[in-house]
Amino acid sequence: MPSEYEALVAALKLTSTPVAEYGWKTRPEGAYYVVQLDGEAGSMDGDSGKLDRSWGGSLDLYYPKLTDRDDLIEETEEILTEIFGSSWYLNSTQYESGTGLFHVEWVFEAMDEPDPEPEGEENAV
Amino acid sequence: MPYEMKVDGMTEISALLEKMEQQATGIASQALYDGAGIMAEEIRKSAESIKTAPFQYAREGTRLPSPEEKEIVLAAGAGIAKFNKNGTEVDTSVGYSSSGYAELNGKVKPVPLIVNAINSGTSFMQKQPFIRKAKNSGSPKAMAAMKNKIEEAFEAMTKK
Repeated sequence: MPSEYEALVAALKLTSTPVAEYGWKTRPEGAYYVVQLDGEAGSMDGDSGKLDRSWGGSLDLYYPKLTDRDDLIEETEEILTEIFGSSWYLNSTQYESGTGLFHVEWVFEAMDEPDPEPEGEENAV
Repeated sequence: MPYEMKVDGMTEISALLEKMEQQATGIASQALYDGAGIMAEEIRKSAESIKTAPFQYAREGTRLPSPEEKEIVLAAGAGIAKFNKNGTEVDTSVGYSSSGYAELNGKVKPVPLIVNAINSGTSFMQKQPFIRKAKNSGSPKAMAAMKNKIEEAFEAMTKK
């Protein structure tokens, strides 16, 4: 699991809104996040293999129409920029007329930790 | 005495360039048609992997799409939009935005609404982003197929 994803989950837990990961069972009151890893995305292939592995995921924010947290979206985007730099985008915004909830979705890509340089006599120049 | 210099074959090259300019849009459209077909096929494959559960109202938490909803998505299939031509540029989109309506539990509902609920998730539906997965896995294949098609067409053109 990429460390950036873990950092995102940790950062969301620090904010006052509840966090639920993929597979959650209960729907919290008020605003809440759902964060999940979808799978591989945008890996760099070369030399008959995968040079850099990257993982795609998404962050969903649900919030009711009348909320005292007007800065929720800006705050979330600040967290995303801090962790992922520029490798995220706002994918969609929706309004559920049935439940009266707004739904904002961000998509991010997280890189795997690079493999440590192999050490040993074979690699000695 | 002045020297005379002459370059042969320029007329052929200019004729070839002119021909390329005339045929570029046609070749691009053919390549795009191939690529769009691959993407549509990839979305169909991805839609088959949607997890389902028998329908029940999500009173607490979320629910999975019902088998009937999945059937509607599979039956509708991803469509290819009309090609937009702008100079030598051609573009299109693949998706469910003009998939029409379907009957679900005695009510007529728009197919894009059902697809969006499964793909993006709602407060009561668990999210299964199958279109993004298809995009991630299918776009390298589609790009390679389009590149092949264009190279083939130019080879055929230069050989004549």
